[in-house]
Amino acid sequence: MSDVAVSLQGVSKHYKFYEKELDRVREILTGRPRYQKIEALKPVSLDVNRGEVLGVIGQNGAGKSTLLKVLARTLQPSSGDIVVNGRVAALLELGASFHPEMTGRENVYLSCAIQGLNHKQIEQVYDEIVAFAEIGDFIDRPVKTYSSGMFVRLAFAIATNIDPEILIIDEALSVGDGAFSRKSFDRIMDFKESGKTILFCSHSMYQVEALCDRVAWLEAGSVRKVGKPVDVISEYSELLRLSAKREESIVASAAVEQKEVADAVVVEGQTRVPRIVDVQVRLDGHEAKVYKIVCGESDLDITVIFDVGAGVPMPSVAVAISGGDGRIITSAGSVHDGVVLETNEEDLGKARIVFPALSLLRGNYFLDVALLCEKGIHLYETGRQVAEINVEQKGLERGFVKLPHEWKP
Amino acid sequence: MKIVKGYVRNITRGVITPLGSVYGNWSLFWMLVKRDLINRTSGTILGKLWPVVQPALQVLGYWFLFDIVFSMRANRGPEYLEYLLTGMLPWLCVAEVLNRATVMFREFSPLYRRNPFPLEILPVLIMTIPALVYGAVYFCLNLILGGFERAILSLLVLPMLMIWLLPLCLLMPVLGLFIKDFAQAVPFLLMITMFLTPILYFPSMLPDTVRSIIWINPFSDLMAVVHGMLQGYDFGMLNVVRPFLIWLLMLGPAWLVFRRSIPHIREVL
Repeated sequence: MSDVAVSLQGVSKHYKFYEKELDRVREILTGRPRYQKIEALKPVSLDVNRGEVLGVIGQNGAGKSTLLKVLARTLQPSSGDIVVNGRVAALLELGASFHPEMTGRENVYLSCAIQGLNHKQIEQVYDEIVAFAEIGDFIDRPVKTYSSGMFVRLAFAIATNIDPEILIIDEALSVGDGAFSRKSFDRIMDFKESGKTILFCSHSMYQVEALCDRVAWLEAGSVRKVGKPVDVISEYSELLRLSAKREESIVASAAVEQKEVADAVVVEGQTRVPRIVDVQVRLDGHEAKVYKIVCGESDLDITVIFDVGAGVPMPSVAVAISGGDGRIITSAGSVHDGVVLETNEEDLGKARIVFPALSLLRGNYFLDVALLCEKGIHLYETGRQVAEINVEQKGLERGFVKLPHEWKP
Repeated sequence: MKIVKGYVRNITRGVITPLGSVYGNWSLFWMLVKRDLINRTSGTILGKLWPVVQPALQVLGYWFLFDIVFSMRANRGPEYLEYLLTGMLPWLCVAEVLNRATVMFREFSPLYRRNPFPLEILPVLIMTIPALVYGAVYFCLNLILGGFERAILSLLVLPMLMIWLLPLCLLMPVLGLFIKDFAQAVPFLLMITMFLTPILYFPSMLPDTVRSIIWINPFSDLMAVVHGMLQGYDFGMLNVVRPFLIWLLMLGPAWLVFRRSIPHIREVL
C-alpha cells in the first residue's frame, strides 16, 4: 500500500468568466474557449502522507477553499492529476445534500450512498451514526423540523462515521453547540490519534501549529512554502504583521467557534460543558474595570473561576494581553506552562496567574481570558476585554514592553 | 475516418457511461428513485393513489375534450377511446420526462453542488421515475383493454421510449440550464409536438397532403410502433428505421455536449 494518501501533480483550477452567458453555450457546443480565466489555483504539486496532518494556511482568496474542494471532488480541477488513496470525508458544508422533506433516517441513507456506501455498509454504520448524533426520535422526522444544532450533529455524524481514511476540515475543529462541540472535537482528535490523514485549512495559526505535522502556505493560488509548522507560520505571521493584518491569537483563533459556545451552559447526557464563572483582575490588590498604572510598578493578578463541567477532563486556561489594534502583545496558557489546575472547596476550577512588575510601555491594553480543553486547543468560552489597562511611563522608551536589561561597562 | 471513430465512440459512451454509472451507484440511484416517489405523494390526502389518479385524470380530460366535446370518433366508436388511451399515456410519460429534463440540473443541484456526485445518472433517473409510475398504470390499462398478453407486451413500450429519449435527456438539461428561454419554450414545443403526433387522431383522419408531413416528426413513428404492437395497426420498417437513425444522429453530439458541460454546471449554480 502506498504511503501517500493524497497526491497532487500540477493541479490547477481556474474559474471561467464569460462576458455573455451565451458564450458559455457556444463554447460547450463548439469546444472552442470563449472565456477569460480567473485563476484560483495555479499548478500545485503536493504529496500528503498517510497519517499526516497537513495544515493549509493563507490569506482570504489564496486558494485554500478551492484546493480543499478539488480534493473533496466537489470541484473539477482545470488541469493536473489527483490521486486520493482512501475514502474522503469533507467537513466543508455539512448537510449540504440533506433533503428537507426526507426524514433523518432517509437522509442518512442518501448521504451515505452519495459517499459511495452500499446498502449493507450503510446498515452497518447506521446505528452508530444515530447514536453519535444524539437526536433520538427525531431521526424519523423530516429534517426540516430539526433545529440547526440537530441538523449539523446528524451531518457531522454521517461524515465521520463512514470510516474515512482522509478527513478534510475547513476552519472549524468542532461543530454544534455545548457538549456536542466537545464531542465532535474529540472525534477529530481520535482521527488524528488513530493515524488518519487530515487536511486542515484554517486562519487560526495557533490551532494549525498545535495540530499539524506540516503546513502548506498558499498565496495567490500558489504554494509559497511547505514545511514545519513553526517555520511556515513564523514567516506567514510576519507577512501578516507587515501587511497590518490582525495577528492570530489563542483567543482570536477560535473566534469562529466563540459565537456557538458563548452561552454554553448546556447539559446533554452525561456531559456538562465547562464555562467561566468569574474573572477577577487585580492590580496591586485593587479591582476595577479600567486600570491606570505606571510601567514596571504594578503586579497584574488574574484569577479565573470556572465550572469544570462533567464528563470532560479538567480544562485549561489562557490569558492574553493585546494592544488597542487587537495585536497580541503576550499570552500564557496553563497547558503550555505545564500547570495542572485544581478545584476549590466549592468544586469550581480556579486558575491564578500573576505578571509581576508589569513592564508594558505607554498605551492602552486589553485583557482577554479563554477557557480551553485539557489540550489547550478546543475553546469552551472566552472572556473578551475583561479589563482595560492604561499604562504610563516615566521615560521616553518606545514600543510595547520594557524587557529586563542591564547596561554593561 | 477520425470523425466517424469519434462519433462512434461518443455514441457508445453516451449509452455505456450513464447506464454503467447507474449500475456502479445502484444504492444511490435506487434511493433517489424511492425519494422521488415518496416526495410526489407526501402530505397529500390521496397519498400513493396520486401516481395512478393523476395520469388517469389527464387521459379522462383529453377523452372528454376530443371524444365528447369535439366528437372525434371518426365513426369508430369505442375503438377511438382505446386508441386514445394507448397513445396518450406513453405521451404523458414522454412529456413529463422532457419537461423535467429542462430543469434537471437546477432541481437536483443540492445533491451535487457540494458533493462528489455522478451527474451522469441524472438523465437515467428522470426517465426511470415516470416510466415506473406510468408503467404501472399502463400495464393495468392494457390488462383491461386486451388481456394479459397485451399487458405483458405493454411493458416494453415505456422502456423503448425512454431509450429513445436518452439523447434528449442528455441535451435538454444543458440547454435548459444555460439558455433560460429554452425552458420557457419547452411546454409550448411539447404541446405542438403532441398535436403533430397521431395520438388524439388516427393518421387516416388527416388529408393526404398533411399526412406525409407528420412523419417528419419521429414521435409519429414511435406512436405508430406503439399502436401497432398493442392494437395491431399497420406499421412498417420505416417507422422503426427513421427514429433509430435520428437516435443515432442525436446521441453522439448529445453525449459530447453533456460531457463538456459538466465542468460548467457547478460554476453556473
